[in-house]
Amino acid sequence: MTESRFTFPQWTNLALPAAIVIGMTAPLYMAIVVAYGFSPQATDVGYMPEQPIPFSHQMHAGELGLDCRYCHNTVEYTQHAAIPPTETCMNCHAQIHPQSDKIQPLFESYETGMPIEWVRVHDLPQYSYFNHSAHVTRGVSCVSCHGRVDTMEVVYQHEPLSMGWCLECHRDPDPHIRNPDLVTQLEWGLDMSAAERLENSALWRTHNDLQPSEDCSTCHR
Amino acid sequence: MTNLIKQIIDDLLKPFLADFKEMPLWIKWGAVVMTSIAFMILAFVFRARSEGVYNDKPRIHFIQNMDNQPKFVSQEANAMFNDGRGMRPKVEGTVARNEMTGDTHFFMGIVDEAWATTFPDQITVDRPLLDRGQGRFNIFCSPCHGAGGFGDGVIHHRAQRLVETGVNGTTWVAPKNLHEDMIAAQPVGQIFNTITNGIRTMAAHGSQIPVADRWAIVAYIEALQLSQNADASTVPNADSLPRVDEGSNK
Ligand code: HEC
Ligand code: HEC
Ligand code: HEC
Ligand code: HEC
Ligand code: HEC
Ligand code: HEC
Repeated sequence: MTESRFTFPQWTNLALPAAIVIGMTAPLYMAIVVAYGFSPQATDVGYMPEQPIPFSHQMHAGELGLDCRYCHNTVEYTQHAAIPPTETCMNCHAQIHPQSDKIQPLFESYETGMPIEWVRVHDLPQYSYFNHSAHVTRGVSCVSCHGRVDTMEVVYQHEPLSMGWCLECHRDPDPHIRNPDLVTQLEWGLDMSAAERLENSALWRTHNDLQPSEDCSTCHR
Repeated sequence: MTNLIKQIIDDLLKPFLADFKEMPLWIKWGAVVMTSIAFMILAFVFRARSEGVYNDKPRIHFIQNMDNQPKFVSQEANAMFNDGRGMRPKVEGTVARNEMTGDTHFFMGIVDEAWATTFPDQITVDRPLLDRGQGRFNIFCSPCHGAGGFGDGVIHHRAQRLVETGVNGTTWVAPKNLHEDMIAAQPVGQIFNTITNGIRTMAAHGSQIPVADRWAIVAYIEALQLSQNADASTVPNADSLPRVDEGSNK
């Protein structure tokens, strides 16, 4: 009789304390993983795809000092900041480094008319509406949303581009506003103290009467 | 006090250790593995969030919702067409509605088959236009022609260095000094045309710069040229302004 009776081995006494410990840590653990691991800061920031041509912003925009608008020329008129066509590169590269291996895809594209397939870095979900001209012409610099592109060998995503991030600035744009003529000078303001910076942006904010909207229909239309 | 500690050890810790010893090995190992995995995930999350860590793998979007919709956005690829462009280029030989209205003065800088010598009606030459022109000139022309228009831009210097070292077959024709008599004498329409269609080794910049901005640049170049040939008689109320010693300037 007693032979066939199953008794839990002695170590199963540990099951209850173990269950309590796991039951208490697991939800906390899951919350941490989801909050930190699923956020755009982890999944999107730092995305640096390999481009078909090793084009360097550090060289062109930083060292050579080309203005962003020389290439991204639609950024002030339209929603979209155009990636430059091959012709824009050929303004210079028809003569500069024409035999470089890195430039050959440009010549190929120029001769065949096939576009260069740049890989998209920043990509908002398509149910949201973003507009470059609304920001750039009102004194929000590229650096607020793209980081110091003029020091990047290869462009990567510097900001999370989440809705919370958009709203953070729409609620308190003051640290980001400057003279609209200076939006492409990414290093502007770095040598100013925080107080000077705020004073300057307050000036431009009142001058241009900026009231960034928090209405859902601004960005979801 | 010591009694209490002894009692705790006897009553709690000892049976616990005894129980633990009895536990099958696979469960112990299982616990070790699970804990390590949990910490590895945390380390992975920490790494993904830290500065200076880049990733060229496509982004993970756990919940897709309507992130990507069956439509084409600006400059997206479309495999349906031979050239892969989602945005279709203009059909050859056609003109978009806002691009050409037969107004050759505004759009081409030509009046009666000759270069226009005046600005078109759509353009009022005033201070805002010159400011606009200055901004646009600094963006589009100064890399080669220099901020003062003397043909000494950054690209020019860099290219000359590349020519000297003979890297990758670089050749370079120096950008013109816009203060040369030959260019200063050109009518505005001709300079407009140079921007639009390029000239010899200078590429066309028409597709990069809207028409009105091209005229603003022309106006600014006229102002630049004037600035190099100015004397006191062209400055209103020159006598009332403070003077520096002759020859120290210019
Ligand atoms: C010589 C032309 C040129 C200049 C000048 C230039 N860019 Fe770019 N930019 C490109 C090209 C080509 C790409 C696409 C390839 C890449 O992502 O590197 C690009 C890509 C980008 C991207 C990523 C776009 C995406 O896919 O999401 C950003 C952001 C950007 N540029 C910002 C800037 C800023 C800010 C400046 C001024 C400091 C600037 N660029 C100046 C040519 C230029
Ligand atoms: C305003 C002139 C200008 C424009 C426009 C321009 N570049 Fe350049 N680029 C240069 C110069 C000058 C250098 C050479 C720098 C050096 O080697 O010292 C260079 C260097 C390069 C190099 C490195 C070549 C090598 O072999 O080291 C690549 C690649 C390149 N450019 C790609 C591009 C692409 C792609 C575009 C168009 C989006 C572009 N460039 C537009 C001026 C320009
Ligand atoms: C307020 C934030 C913000 C500012 C300021 C800003 N950008 Fe962007 N940029 C974005 C966002 C968001 C995207 C992604 C847009 C999308 O996916 O539709 C983007 C995308 C781009 C792209 C890829 C093409 C596109 O339009 O999707 C380029 C190139 C670019 N930006 C260049 C610039 C330049 C150059 C400036 C400064 C003159 C600038 N941006 C200023 C937020 C900004
Ligand atoms: C660094 C600050 C900043 C960030 C980040 C920012 N915005 Fe803005 N946004 C502004 C300012 C300033 C305005 C101009 C408000 C005005 O004109 O009164 C503006 C205006 C807009 C407008 C135009 C509203 C109108 O009245 O036409 C839209 C749409 C918009 N933002 C969407 C976005 C989206 C989507 C994001 C996130 C991807 C974003 N913004 C991130 C500062 C910012
Ligand atoms: C400043 C611009 C802006 C405003 C204002 C705004 N949104 Fe958003 N919203 C965004 C952007 C950008 C995203 C995409 C974020 C991302 O990359 O996941 C988004 C995403 C969302 C999502 C999808 C979230 C998900 O991950 O599935 C919902 C739902 C949403 N917004 C609702 C709202 C509502 C409701 C309001 C009004 C209270 C609002 N939004 C106002 C910019 C905005
Ligand atoms: C990529 C370099 C480059 C840029 C950018 C550039 N130019 Fe030039 N430009 C040249 C070169 C090179 C020449 C000399 C061409 C030759 O003699 O073969 C030239 C010549 C000229 C001339 C003299 C034409 C003649 O009749 O001899 C004018 C005027 C001129 N450029 C105006 C401009 C204006 C205005 C811009 C800005 C929209 C501009 N350029 C941008 C390189 C450039």
